[in-house]
Amino acid sequence: MAGLSFLDRERSVAHEGYSRWLVPPAALAIHLAIGQVYAFSVFKIPLTRLIGITHSAPNDWIQSQVAWIFSLAIVILGLSAATFGKWLEGAGPRKAMFASAVCFALGFYISYLGVQAHQLWLLYVGYGVVGGTGLGLGYISPVSTLIKWFPDRPGLATGMAIMGFGGGAMIGSPLAVKLMAHFHTPDNVGVGSTFLTMGTIYFLFMMFGVFTIRVPREGWKPAGWTSMTHAGAMITTHDVEVNAAFGTPQFWLLWIVLCMNVTAGIGIIEQASPMIQELFKGTIGPVAAAGFVGLLSIFNMGGRFFWSSVSDYIGRKPTYVIFLAAGAVLYWVLPYTGGNHWNSVGLFVTVSVVLLSMYGGGFATIPAYLRDMFGGYNVSAIHGRLLTAWSVAGVLGPVLVNYMREYELRHGVDKAGAYQAVLHFMTLLLLVGFMANLLVRPVAQKYWRTGSATEKAA
Amino acid sequence: MAANTNGEGTKSSGVALLVAWLFVGIPLGWGVYNTALSSMKLFQAGPAPAMPAPAPSSPR
Repeated sequence: MAGLSFLDRERSVAHEGYSRWLVPPAALAIHLAIGQVYAFSVFKIPLTRLIGITHSAPNDWIQSQVAWIFSLAIVILGLSAATFGKWLEGAGPRKAMFASAVCFALGFYISYLGVQAHQLWLLYVGYGVVGGTGLGLGYISPVSTLIKWFPDRPGLATGMAIMGFGGGAMIGSPLAVKLMAHFHTPDNVGVGSTFLTMGTIYFLFMMFGVFTIRVPREGWKPAGWTSMTHAGAMITTHDVEVNAAFGTPQFWLLWIVLCMNVTAGIGIIEQASPMIQELFKGTIGPVAAAGFVGLLSIFNMGGRFFWSSVSDYIGRKPTYVIFLAAGAVLYWVLPYTGGNHWNSVGLFVTVSVVLLSMYGGGFATIPAYLRDMFGGYNVSAIHGRLLTAWSVAGVLGPVLVNYMREYELRHGVDKAGAYQAVLHFMTLLLLVGFMANLLVRPVAQKYWRTGSATEKAA
Repeated sequence: MAANTNGEGTKSSGVALLVAWLFVGIPLGWGVYNTALSSMKLFQAGPAPAMPAPAPSSPR
């Protein structure tokens, strides 16, 4: 379409004088918006009171039905990232960001129709499928561009963007609460109008990213930087195409690393509020527990920036050694900080926030790890396929935690004791990830893309 | 505007940089501030009530 030609990759090549430091805010505009998905829980209760308003009426949806909207969005995120990653590499970041913004906003608009007509399937299709497609496209769209602009600091650059995904819930949650309060009337919970408004706000916010993003000119590199001076045994100067990368042991080892790290992190996130209350019965109540959840969110976000930046200095593999080895130890120790053992709230909170920082760090450091292994040529597409590990972990984590806990409770273990088994199982998962990370070696020459090196692709 | 092949910034891009970072920084700062306020409850709350109150809506 001629009218949309401004979205073409050729039209988004940076002009002379364009500062590469404009690219992280462009990427943040996308990630801060789509990170709203983590705040979807604020809609859960209002969506179950569309008819009853102050309470759930018999014809209202129930929470377990509404919960599928979020789960569907996360699964589609992974599938969309895996499916459209290769398209994105050709189409360029601006077109992908625009498609992401359209899908994400459309998801809200379709959900608005679903609320007005009280048709739950419209929310599944809208927020879940269409919005989820926008999430996947948006998540990977700035990754390879950031890596090309920051070949000297890929961890820092991708960490800044992916930090935005962690921070998105911090904006989306209070925004949704304030909008629902604004639109609330005696016969309307205000969630429909909130969807409509948020769809529009997020679309406009994401347009800032669309119009600001630029790809570097052919052959551009930072002043004084040469790839060879930074290349070590674990940083390739060659590129691997996405389909070839998919067949390498390195891809699947990193898939396991990400899957185990995310599954373990969800072990805390999923149960954070009840866990701290049950481990410190009589000391920590629901209000303090909500504060604990907020603190975890801050460390989840901060860890994304901190650890990915650290990885630029100590290397990607050692960074994951820290995540997985220290994580395994800390998960083992965590239940002993509770009321039945050491009874130290301070220690419990400290260990938890360190674990959550490493959970976030695992997400943020993986694009740079992929770039080190496979080069920058198809890194967004490879990252997209790797995110299927997140989809699996998103289902596996909560299922493992809930079933293990229920199993323990059925067998007479008290609530605090049940967490011990769950958290110790997380230690085992991290040890599996630790072994997988240790096995990661440079990609064999037979997988290299012929006649190219990373700096040429930039 | 002076040409700068390093992309490290020029006089005009300095303003653009400031605007761009404020555009994303202000909402992010607002979100972090709200979350930090909420997390203070962990340190301010007294002992838990004997009867559990309804759980608040979690941002995650």
